[in-house]
Amino acid sequence: MPTVTIDGCKVTVKKDETILDAARKAGIWIPTLCYHPAVPSDASCRLCMVELDRGDWRQLVTSCNYPVRRDIVVYVSSERAEAARRGVMELLLARAPESGELKALAERMGVYETRYPNVTESQRNCILCGLCVSVCEQIIGKAAIGFAGRGVDRAVAAPFRQPSEDCIGCGACAAICPVGTIKIRIHADEQEVEISPFKSRAKLLVCEQCGALVASKQVSEQALTRSNLNSEEFRASLRLCPKCRRLQTAGQLGAATFYKK
Amino acid sequence: MTLLSNKRLSSIAELDAQRKELLSSRAPSTKSVYVCTGPGCAAKGSPKLYELFREAVSQANVDVEIRAKAVGCHGLCEYGPIVIIEPGDIFYQRVEEPDVAEIFRETVLGGRLVDRLLYEHPATGEKLDTVDKIPFYQVQQRVALAYNGLIDPTEITDYITEGGYSALAKVLSSMTAEEVVSEVEAAGLRGRGGGGFPTARKWRSCREAEGSPKYVICNGDEGDPGAFMDRAIMEGNPHSVIEGMLIGAYAIGSSDGYIYVRNEYPLSVERLKLAIEQAKELGLIGENILGSSFSFDIRINRGGGAFVCGESTALMASLEGRPGEPRAKYVHTVESGLWEKPTNLNNVETWTNVPAIINRGGEWFAGIGTEKSKGTKVFSLVGKVVNTGLVEVPMGITLRQIIDEIGGGIPDGKRFKAVQTGGPSGGCIPAEHLDARVDFDELTKLGSMMGSGGMIVMDEDTCMVRVAKYFTDFLQKESCGKCTPCREGLAQMLYILDRITDGEGQVGDVERLEGLAELMEGTALCALGKTAANPVISTIRYFRDEYDAHIKEKHCPAKECRGLFRYEIDADACKSCGICLQNCPAEAITGEKKVPYVIDQEKCTLCGTCWEKCPFAAVLKV
Repeated sequence: MPTVTIDGCKVTVKKDETILDAARKAGIWIPTLCYHPAVPSDASCRLCMVELDRGDWRQLVTSCNYPVRRDIVVYVSSERAEAARRGVMELLLARAPESGELKALAERMGVYETRYPNVTESQRNCILCGLCVSVCEQIIGKAAIGFAGRGVDRAVAAPFRQPSEDCIGCGACAAICPVGTIKIRIHADEQEVEISPFKSRAKLLVCEQCGALVASKQVSEQALTRSNLNSEEFRASLRLCPKCRRLQTAGQLGAATFYKK
Repeated sequence: MTLLSNKRLSSIAELDAQRKELLSSRAPSTKSVYVCTGPGCAAKGSPKLYELFREAVSQANVDVEIRAKAVGCHGLCEYGPIVIIEPGDIFYQRVEEPDVAEIFRETVLGGRLVDRLLYEHPATGEKLDTVDKIPFYQVQQRVALAYNGLIDPTEITDYITEGGYSALAKVLSSMTAEEVVSEVEAAGLRGRGGGGFPTARKWRSCREAEGSPKYVICNGDEGDPGAFMDRAIMEGNPHSVIEGMLIGAYAIGSSDGYIYVRNEYPLSVERLKLAIEQAKELGLIGENILGSSFSFDIRINRGGGAFVCGESTALMASLEGRPGEPRAKYVHTVESGLWEKPTNLNNVETWTNVPAIINRGGEWFAGIGTEKSKGTKVFSLVGKVVNTGLVEVPMGITLRQIIDEIGGGIPDGKRFKAVQTGGPSGGCIPAEHLDARVDFDELTKLGSMMGSGGMIVMDEDTCMVRVAKYFTDFLQKESCGKCTPCREGLAQMLYILDRITDGEGQVGDVERLEGLAELMEGTALCALGKTAANPVISTIRYFRDEYDAHIKEKHCPAKECRGLFRYEIDADACKSCGICLQNCPAEAITGEKKVPYVIDQEKCTLCGTCWEKCPFAAVLKV
């Protein structure tokens, strides 16, 4: 098993684990944005740069997708690595100045302001890390959103920038968004969920007992097919919201106990 | 030339027999008219000339055999359309439709020269009748373009007659895969697409990589502004690319090949398609090539016009049907490329060099060029130079030789300022480095690069800040937008460059640009992003004073940036004709007869109309 020496600290990893994996094992923090263990690393945000010792020179590499295959020496807190990460963060701050999440991460890195003006804004407050696109396609299996345009015009959008019919309103994109740009909006009166900023909407199931809004119909269908629990009985239980379902189960259990007595 | 019974050649002996037959069927008294239909000449209407020559041939009632051939680029595009007559190697330039009848009557039939169509020596004024006397060709050495301009790219027989596919036959009959790689290694061939990576090392890694099938790709996604080297090869000699790929595939152990051609090159696609079809008919592509156990198939894929697809991983993503975006190359494409299989990608010009290396030996090839850059390199020489065109020179030649001896210097008596090499991600090299030798490492040392071979010459009227802005703008538009430093960094750079050329530059802007450049070079995902700052960095390095003039003095020394220079009337040159006054839309010019006119700087909107209209060049930019 190869050994990674990070800032002098030795840690052993399995072959093809990444520098980031090694750093996490060693308890060394490397800031990340577009990295998420649920999806393969795209290394698009370039925030997790570290310096790799190549013998006679040092190369900046992204730690989230650099596979460790032999013993290597890495510097996370070298001057050049820190400057690279800070520079990237400043560019991101210029792009998405309103994100509280981004600001918090920047401050943790010691970056309190950016020297760059806001010159690109094809999509407000989006850093184009692509996690939402990956999760929708690879985990949810829907690909309701994707990248549109290129260069500074790149944006995450549903096809033709119209509300997507493929969107099941699951909100995985909002959950994975590292800068809080994607939001779930509930429209109570229309009994719909909207994924902002994509404007995609899905009808929500209503609890037969209390009238509370539950997940969208498509989400429950998807959950059923994925979980091998597609029995009539289980299906019936989904007509209720989690709270009413618990009450119902409790009631049933109570009744059963009483009967035994 | 017909003959070939379209029969599949099932052995090397049959290929040799075919070639002998082709050679013997060529009557020694044959006269040929070669009409250049390369990109430059074709744009000037040469296909029509070819039709007219063919008509003339068919109507000529003479005993001798006459052939009119449409051939690939001759290189001297500035003087196109070019027509060459054999025997005699007579070179006619700027041929127009009415000239066809005269050339045919006088030269082809009569053996006399048409003086006015000959190339004139720029210095002596002497009329030069043959190709080898023209200075443009004297310094050149043609390897990749050796048969360009000689063979009809739509006829495989032409290629075979000139020895085509003999390298393939040699490889199949007498060389092991390792021997082929060693030969290319001995040649010292390095990738012509820009990176300059040793070709043999790439082949060997791919051959030794685990996994199958293995893929071989030809990168024909030539996207640099002003570059047309690969296009000229694909359109002028497509079989040389195919033969190179066949040899590479044999050495690597691949049976699947792709040629990725940019969509803007429809003729390249057509020529390659036809070439593949013809090679398939003869059994030079397909199963058990020439009766051997080697099988190889080639498919053509058209790009969607994205510059970034010239980057190998983006190209492979595009081939797979995904958006053309690069990925990290921490695992090399020779190990995991197309569909995660071992993949060997080389550029058009690299592949074209392979048959010549096999035929003439690696040692011969290594005899050309410098210590670390072997062979020749094709450049498209464009911009402010007398002889724009396609040139092939031995590595190690100086920039000065290319620009002055081949290019004929700067037109209109202007002064040379810089030459931009390496495409948009290359750099600008100033006059003091004109004696630098053209090879991979030397150009990199100067802050530029070999790139795929674009060479744009600029004269004193070119503003270097604008040049940097032009390329930054190009790259910003062509950036895929995947990674932060390239997408955001280029936008930030452009923002600053815009400000400088608008006269609103701030002290510290140059340092800001340098900071961004360093950040992008270190952190961008692909080579495009890593080198995207080169135009800015190299112009700062050599033309810092121009940046400072823009920022501090609000003056554009080349007088190209509007608002950063004034128009004034030269009192001595002004003839008081009144044309400027009549044309000035701002009524900023006053004057009367016999008195030099004057521009009121307060009223002048700097539109430049007076400067354009003045017949005496009395309006000056200051």
